[in-house]
Amino acid sequence: MPALKPAVQPQIPTIVPTGSLQHLDPQDVKPSANNPRMLFDAEQLAELKKNIAEHGVLVPITVYQPKGQKKFSILDGERRFRCVRDLDSEGHRDKHGHPLRLPANVVEPPTKIAGLLYMFSIHEYREQWELMPTALSLKIVIDELGVDDSKTLSKFTGLSEPQIERCKKLLKFPERFQKLSLDPDPTTRIPSNFWIEALPVIDLALTEIASLRQLGRDRAIDKLVDKYRAHKIKSVIHFRRIMESYELSEGERDMRTAVLRTIEEFFLDPALETRAAFDQFIIGKKRVQGALAACTDFIKQLQALKLRFTADDDERVELRKALRDVQEYCKSLEQALRGTDDPEIPND
Amino acid sequence: MWSILYGFFAAWRFRDYKPLPVTFGRAKKWIEQFQPRDRKAAGLLLEKVVYLSEKRTRSILVQQNSALMDRLAEAGLPPNKLVYVQVHDAGSSSGVMLNILRDAAGLDRLGCHLIDAHNSLELIKVTNEVGEGAVIYVDDFVGTGNQFCQERNFVAQNIVGTFSEFLLVPCICEEGLSRVAKEGVEAVAGHVHSKAERPLHDHSHVMDRDSKRRLREVCTEISAKMGLGYDRLATMVILYRNAPNTVPSLFRGSPNQDPFAGLFPRWKDLPIPPHL
Repeated sequence: MPALKPAVQPQIPTIVPTGSLQHLDPQDVKPSANNPRMLFDAEQLAELKKNIAEHGVLVPITVYQPKGQKKFSILDGERRFRCVRDLDSEGHRDKHGHPLRLPANVVEPPTKIAGLLYMFSIHEYREQWELMPTALSLKIVIDELGVDDSKTLSKFTGLSEPQIERCKKLLKFPERFQKLSLDPDPTTRIPSNFWIEALPVIDLALTEIASLRQLGRDRAIDKLVDKYRAHKIKSVIHFRRIMESYELSEGERDMRTAVLRTIEEFFLDPALETRAAFDQFIIGKKRVQGALAACTDFIKQLQALKLRFTADDDERVELRKALRDVQEYCKSLEQALRGTDDPEIPND
Repeated sequence: MWSILYGFFAAWRFRDYKPLPVTFGRAKKWIEQFQPRDRKAAGLLLEKVVYLSEKRTRSILVQQNSALMDRLAEAGLPPNKLVYVQVHDAGSSSGVMLNILRDAAGLDRLGCHLIDAHNSLELIKVTNEVGEGAVIYVDDFVGTGNQFCQERNFVAQNIVGTFSEFLLVPCICEEGLSRVAKEGVEAVAGHVHSKAERPLHDHSHVMDRDSKRRLREVCTEISAKMGLGYDRLATMVILYRNAPNTVPSLFRGSPNQDPFAGLFPRWKDLPIPPHL
């Protein structure tokens, strides 16, 4: 049998300290451009600030100096920097009565990829933010590293796999649509979630409906954008009603035909609102109630079986495998049910 | 007497103010709107105006830019590593300043990149391509710095790579300078407008107390909310294209210029011409 080739892993550049430790004036340090203040929990920040006021900064921050600029940019230690800057502006002095200084490891400016990967570690906490800039940066990483696998990308970037999948969905749209989610004006911006929620509907419509195929993908998308702007899609989550209607019609020929006809009408009639069009097909509220009851019963039944101290090795292995399967399915279902409207969604 | 003297002075000094040209007649009428005892003070106020004519604006921009480019070249950043960014809508002051600079300094020919901040995709592409360089925002005036920082913070999240950031601006207020510096953007300005230079500002003492009080009262009568300009900055910088909204209202005048006609009305303060 031929020996298996080891998988080729791309070279990931890392940020290596040059070993230069300096004590910087907080005024000489600039906050990270990709790390806006709303990222921080005020309570935790206050705790850290109190700690720094008492003991000073014990762990140096990591900075680099961009070419041509006197100030140092932060790679790691934004919270420590903010605390010291606040304390400094409040007139706080160190225990010797000297102005506060910030211990910092000065490193070489990171390469583009290293910088991007660092940026992702910050974006991980930015789920409430527009995802489009993250998606476009992810595309650079994909292109530069030649890696497309979500698991590997997740490892490199620190983004969760579902986040990466969402980014990939955004990258499926042409640039002119991506631009709409980069509009600085939140009142006219199309939220990234719009594309993520619309994608399965667009794919379905173009696969199943000949007239929409003839219209073309871009023009079909334009119709949805116009509809959203005209508030005929009041929430991006309402796209799920369309998919739900389609799934519920499986095996029921007449209903399936009616759903597809409504989808066609929904695309072509600018005045038709999502709920008005599809609520008629969603009669399965009981399904959710049934699922909720099933979850409760499932846990109760397992508890009643008193399994915690199961001794038999084979039984334990089998049971653990079954539980993992349940866990995996539940996790994927839970992830599929996630999603909200972006905070910037235009009001009626 | 003051109205004639300052009428000539204003007509000569502010002649290229675009929204409404400053003529001798208009300047004289402007002074005569004040009570006789305040006319001298109003005239002195005019003397304190920092007027940025078209020629001066261009000259400041080109000179500051040239010095900045030299500095960046020395740091290893040639022109093709420089990304010039206009921070507001096309046709706004920022766009106009960037156009002036582009033409006067030949930025295109030098290989610099010029981008509208609203075109995030282009910004991502260009900064990705450049990798390491400098982003230079261009604007005409910065008051509190809040509006600029808001725009810049949006732009900054789309910058890929390591970039130093500069703000090239003919004039910036001291409030804006510290605000912008706090974000890590280095302002390269032709003039830093201090509070002390603004006779009607709370912290300025360049005008006698009574005159200051009475002129401020006039401002409040014209506009209760914006009497001393946005955020009470009471700035004295007038740009040939338009007065900033931070100037005291006695310069801008009442809306539609009635009852008080300003010497430097903003475009939107002017009445709509009857034929439109």
